[in-house]
Amino acid sequence: MADSGVTRRTALGVLTAVAGGAFVLRGTAPAAAAEPPLGQNEPLDAALKRVFGGRPMKDGSGMIKLDIPLIAENGAVVPVSVEVNAPMTPQSYVKHIYVVADKNRIPIVTRVALTPASGQAYMGANIRLGETTDVRAIVEQSDGTLFALKREVKVTVGGCGG
Amino acid sequence: MSDVGKVRLRVPASIKAGDVIRVRCLVIHPMERIERDKAGKIIDKKYQYIDTVTVTYLGRTVATFDTTQSVSENPFFAFAVKATDPGKLTVAFHDTHGQKYEGSADIAFS
Repeated sequence: MADSGVTRRTALGVLTAVAGGAFVLRGTAPAAAAEPPLGQNEPLDAALKRVFGGRPMKDGSGMIKLDIPLIAENGAVVPVSVEVNAPMTPQSYVKHIYVVADKNRIPIVTRVALTPASGQAYMGANIRLGETTDVRAIVEQSDGTLFALKREVKVTVGGCGG
Repeated sequence: MSDVGKVRLRVPASIKAGDVIRVRCLVIHPMERIERDKAGKIIDKKYQYIDTVTVTYLGRTVATFDTTQSVSENPFFAFAVKATDPGKLTVAFHDTHGQKYEGSADIAFS
């Protein structure tokens, strides 16, 4: 594991990690959420295609727990949390958790990069929802397998503006 | 809005070595939404919102959130960390205007 010290050994370790794909550090894939200055007003399909490149997604209903209210009265603040029932060991861990709101103008809400040091694949956040929409949790494992789960949220007052 | 950038971090009150703890954090930030003019065209400007949140524990990055404007104003985030050693947990928020807001908590075992 590349440490943050600056001895020669760790410097070498960092080099190896970079050569090997540096997946422990910030994702090197050109994922959507990494370049938001564009404003990113794109439909869901384009966003998913750009981020996941059409890779198949398995049904994650057995392992993902997506916690979000069924009815959100105020779309400006919707609490969401995602918990994944998967091991977090250096050999196999949850690399990314994506939260995607299908009908938002910026569909990809957040991308969380995790490491085995997290101990548990869990994230929570407050998000905005523009209108009644499906919300998906997409989980990427360290070997690249994708799992997805979606749930509809009814929104009384939209919170995305613009 | 003098409170902008205030970070609150909450860790469980009692932690045992090896526990997986859940940490919640909050930052006061406007997270500007996309604005449109009367014709419905997006006003082109550099919107100020948080695009990266980094969690560091014992000098190592544990989790990174990449966020967009679809995240609420005064965003709240939660994540899990395995508390292996006593030490400092830091959460740093970076926004598109180059501002950096930081909060930290000490992980101590009871």
